[in-house]
Amino acid sequence: MLSIILLSVSGIASLFLGFNKSRSLLMPATLLFLLVALAVNLWDWNVPFTLSSAYNNGMMTVDKTTIVFSAILLVSALLVIPFSQNYIDRPQAQPAEYYAILLFALVGGIMMTAYDNLIMLFVGVEILSISMYVLAGSDKRNLRSTEAALKYFLMGAFATGFLLFGVALLYGATMSFSIKGIADYTNANVGNLSPLLYVGIVMVLIGVLFKVSAAPFHFWTPDVYEGSPSLFTAFMSTVVKTAGFAALYRLLAVSFTGLYDYWAMSIAVVALLTLVVGNITASHQHSFKRMMAYSGISHAGYLLIAVTAFQNTSQDAILFYSLAYSVATIAAFGVLILVADKQQGSEDFSAFNGLAKNNPFLAFVMTLAMCSLAGIPLTGGFFGKFLIFSSAFAKGGLNWLLIGAILMSAVGIYYYFKVVIAMYIREGKTEKIALTGLQQAAFVLSILLTLLLGVVPNLFADLV
Amino acid sequence: MKQYFPSDYLPLLVQFSAAAAFVVVTMIATHLLGPKRNSKVKDAAWECGIEAKGDARTPISIKYFLTAILFVLFDIEVIFMYPWAVNFKELFREMGSVIFVEMLLFMALLLAGFYYVIKKGVLKWE
Amino acid sequence: MQLTLLCALVPLFPFIGFLVNGLGFRNIPNSAAGVISTASAVASFVVSVLLFSNFLSGGSQPFTAVLFDWVSVGGLKIQFSYLIDQLSLLMLMVVTGVGSLIHLYSMGYMHHDEGFGKFMAFLNLFMFSMLLLVMGSNYLIMFFGWEGVGLCSYLLIGFWNKNVSYGDAARKAFVMNRIGDLGFLIGIFLIINTFGSVEYQQVFPKAVELFKAGDSTVFWITFCLFIGAMGKSAQIPLYTWLPDAMAGPTPVSALIHAATMVTAGIYMVIRSNVLYTLAPDTLEIIAIVGLATALFAASIGLFQNDIKKVLAYSTVSQLGYMFLALGVMAYSSAMFHVMTHAFFKALLFLGAGSVIHAMGGEQDIRKMGGLQGHIKITFLTFLIGTIAISGIPPFAGFFSKDEILMHVYEHNKLLWALGVVGSMMTSFYMFRLLFLTFFGTFRGTKHQHEHLHESPLSMTVPLMVLAVLSVFGGALGLPEVFGFNHQLANFMSPLFEHSKTVNALVGAKSALPHSTEYALMFVSVMAVALSMTAAWVLFVKKANVPASDETLDGMTKVIYNKYYVDEIYQAAIVKPLYSLSEFCHSVAETAMDMLVESTGKLVNVAGNGFRQLQTGIVGYYVLAMVAGILLFAVFTLRSVLF
Repeated sequence: MLSIILLSVSGIASLFLGFNKSRSLLMPATLLFLLVALAVNLWDWNVPFTLSSAYNNGMMTVDKTTIVFSAILLVSALLVIPFSQNYIDRPQAQPAEYYAILLFALVGGIMMTAYDNLIMLFVGVEILSISMYVLAGSDKRNLRSTEAALKYFLMGAFATGFLLFGVALLYGATMSFSIKGIADYTNANVGNLSPLLYVGIVMVLIGVLFKVSAAPFHFWTPDVYEGSPSLFTAFMSTVVKTAGFAALYRLLAVSFTGLYDYWAMSIAVVALLTLVVGNITASHQHSFKRMMAYSGISHAGYLLIAVTAFQNTSQDAILFYSLAYSVATIAAFGVLILVADKQQGSEDFSAFNGLAKNNPFLAFVMTLAMCSLAGIPLTGGFFGKFLIFSSAFAKGGLNWLLIGAILMSAVGIYYYFKVVIAMYIREGKTEKIALTGLQQAAFVLSILLTLLLGVVPNLFADLV
Repeated sequence: MKQYFPSDYLPLLVQFSAAAAFVVVTMIATHLLGPKRNSKVKDAAWECGIEAKGDARTPISIKYFLTAILFVLFDIEVIFMYPWAVNFKELFREMGSVIFVEMLLFMALLLAGFYYVIKKGVLKWE
Repeated sequence: MQLTLLCALVPLFPFIGFLVNGLGFRNIPNSAAGVISTASAVASFVVSVLLFSNFLSGGSQPFTAVLFDWVSVGGLKIQFSYLIDQLSLLMLMVVTGVGSLIHLYSMGYMHHDEGFGKFMAFLNLFMFSMLLLVMGSNYLIMFFGWEGVGLCSYLLIGFWNKNVSYGDAARKAFVMNRIGDLGFLIGIFLIINTFGSVEYQQVFPKAVELFKAGDSTVFWITFCLFIGAMGKSAQIPLYTWLPDAMAGPTPVSALIHAATMVTAGIYMVIRSNVLYTLAPDTLEIIAIVGLATALFAASIGLFQNDIKKVLAYSTVSQLGYMFLALGVMAYSSAMFHVMTHAFFKALLFLGAGSVIHAMGGEQDIRKMGGLQGHIKITFLTFLIGTIAISGIPPFAGFFSKDEILMHVYEHNKLLWALGVVGSMMTSFYMFRLLFLTFFGTFRGTKHQHEHLHESPLSMTVPLMVLAVLSVFGGALGLPEVFGFNHQLANFMSPLFEHSKTVNALVGAKSALPHSTEYALMFVSVMAVALSMTAAWVLFVKKANVPASDETLDGMTKVIYNKYYVDEIYQAAIVKPLYSLSEFCHSVAETAMDMLVESTGKLVNVAGNGFRQLQTGIVGYYVLAMVAGILLFAVFTLRSVLF
């Protein structure tokens, strides 16, 4: 868990770098910090499980799963940062603080993937969330950004209350904060469990489901995603979601395996509801960014299917899907940021009209991202969905959920291709958009990852 | 492990209701017992003899909040030092000088924050 | 190992062509782009021929070329591998052979277009996906190719993307295909669930072991797969995208929407013949859907006036015949028809392209006429194509269609009668098309008349090659009744080994006496000749020209000065036919479109509803969340509470 320490220190370092008059150093420095953190994170790959556990006083675990999840978070952050260029070039921007908060948020995210103790879960969730509240409102002059931050904060605080309440009840019922301790208690007292435990599980689930914006706890998502600066929306819809699912799956897999029958049905129903609400509302949007918000909700639904399936393969499926989804989402937001900048900030579908003419590369990146999100073969998204569906199939008894999911993925095609059509078919004027080298690199990396995931998924599926 | 029953919490409940009842009863009692003489002039807001104008809730400078928040922040962080100091001898025997270095690190972090705050000009009062 | 390399090369060539043209189409001159992509198609044709000869000399043993491990999750291991057997080789020959010719043709047809390089790149990408589809050794690779060809079809239909309605046609094709694909995907999942594998060579033996004919599991698997085939091969009710798909450039219509992609559904059913033989109910459904599509589309085709639309409906109708053949378990006959159809339909489309080229972009046959003297090669080849599709001996279409009808006759005599009616309609609309286009007097503008010219060599050579194939293609499967050995059926018979153990009828020799076979042939040839004569009388002798759209009600006016007999004929035959065709086209097709689109509408309405929920007021959100929390809590705690 050296990466957590490293990220915290580099966050502080980034704050101090901000006192330098020149802002040009900040982004490279942040990228460097992230790369080092990624390297340090992967350094632990072969560390035996028990040793690392002792090292962290039973608070956190380092194993391959947590390392891969953390790596996904770090890679997402690495891909997002290059697109901050336009945002930090504005005179009123505070780049050092943005980067520092992003780094702190990652600390929270990594804690959520690796916690061994419910206190650490809570601390991780809070570090991540509070960072995101601030970043959502970072565009202070913009009323919508402020509104987004306030809404996010109010709703988030509400959900955090539930999470904490749930943790307290779990402690009350099992006398343990450790997720393994809770598992031991529940396994030892089957049939004699306190009702407090059941209520506690419900509360904790509500708290985490809120963070991953599952329906019916999704109401904050569209407004917050749309109002926040696109840069941070990209970060929120990838890093926060991945961390949330890592946390959810870890909690259920370690602590509540024995109580599968108790929670599985609820999660399955929530998954279907999330899929329906996300996909169907997304098909009715005029704003690309808002569409992406709903699409983010729908992807939470797919991931929840894997949680419900709860097979050996489910965790791999979640990892794979998160990576494919994060890469594609960031690429899409990257293009959006660049295009909206040229279109007086318009984030509607119409802003993309005729983009392909002068910016074939951007249009291609966007097309590929949309294909991946829609789950068209030869892209990562297809295999993500494939793995999730096949794990649910293997579980059996979830056919109703799968049929719903497959139908909803057809709806997805409709709205994802709206933007493709706008770019290639509709008439419009967009002048040539200049890309920085880093942005090009980020796009190329995302294309490569998407295609690699889609063509040779085995490269990644064998990781864990 | 001792098994707790809901009835074990009864004393707490009694304590709570007693506290709540005291507050409520006192407030109602003073309201009822105290003498009251209302008139228009008497109920008006007192403003040095000048008639009140506008809203009392005017925006206050953000500096007040910042200062207050910073105070709370450092206040709470310093509280961590009490248990550390109280247990220092024992901890030192167990873990050696690491325990001292750890507190130095903690203080360094605090000071870094403090330096940042000063450098940002948060405490400048114009 | 060498064989593996050869297999890997087949799809690799078009893919390289796609990469080169796709990445550099702004920098590569048009001439080079055309040569690169055509060369890559030809190269993969050559390799396919090598594979074929290798296969024959090696004693016709199926061969699996494993390239790499693809997906391994839990117990499921899927390899990226190609299967070389009789079926994939035949499809390879058709796809690369006809594909190469169409690449060549495109060099002439599209060379004016500014997006030429891009077009060629897409064609190559299509070839690549199609090759994956037919070569893959498991359902997942097939699905990849399946989606890939759908994507290319979308890209190519909307190729002239300046026109928004073309874009809409492309999107319609894609969405309809996706509806089918969902069925296909569910089918694959069912296969994984049932057999634990998607490799053909593991699934099929297992299927025979595990199930008896008529098992409901197999029914659902095959039915779901067939839904996929309905979308891709344009069967009722998912066929309406195909006529709209004619918005794409003509070579695309020839390659994708006539010769190769649309036969993917047929390929899939033949490939899974074991499963289908195990599911007689699905076969029944297939036969009925196939026949209905054949008749329905043919009747719409009767009075279409757009040269490409006629061919489009004809394609839908011919695909219906192929499914009819599959439905009566005449798998090899369906494959036979796939091949001959690929020859003559590609020929007809390319010929139509040549006509359109000569007319300067005009597609309305009412404005053509008398072209035979001006574009001789096109006329002759088009004539051959028409004869072939109509089923007049000894051209290719006769043998394949007759074989299908014979099998149908064995199965059910009513279906056979309807099939003959369908082939009458086929010959009527095809000859109508031929006569209106090439006979009579020229009805276009003066400007067009001066510009009439034969197409360049790169366009006429493919026409000639395809014409030769359309004439002699029937030699592949000369029936036994004429004293020949049915080569194609013999060649393909190892494919049906497993099916035979389930149902002895599969691949069995016809039990009909030779006299009956002769009689059947005689009836269908006479029927075709009759409707051909009718077309000749109407459109050459009487020189009728369909009324233009503005004077649709003036039909009687057109025939006013004709003989009394003519009016009877008109009233008794043409009018009812016309109204049937009109009915199918306007009412039934609209209804079908609505059926498919109403699903979309439902989504729209629901979307609007959900959108209204999102008011933007925080208090309301909190209320909604509290409600959600209560529901969630009660639902989860139901076992504890109650």
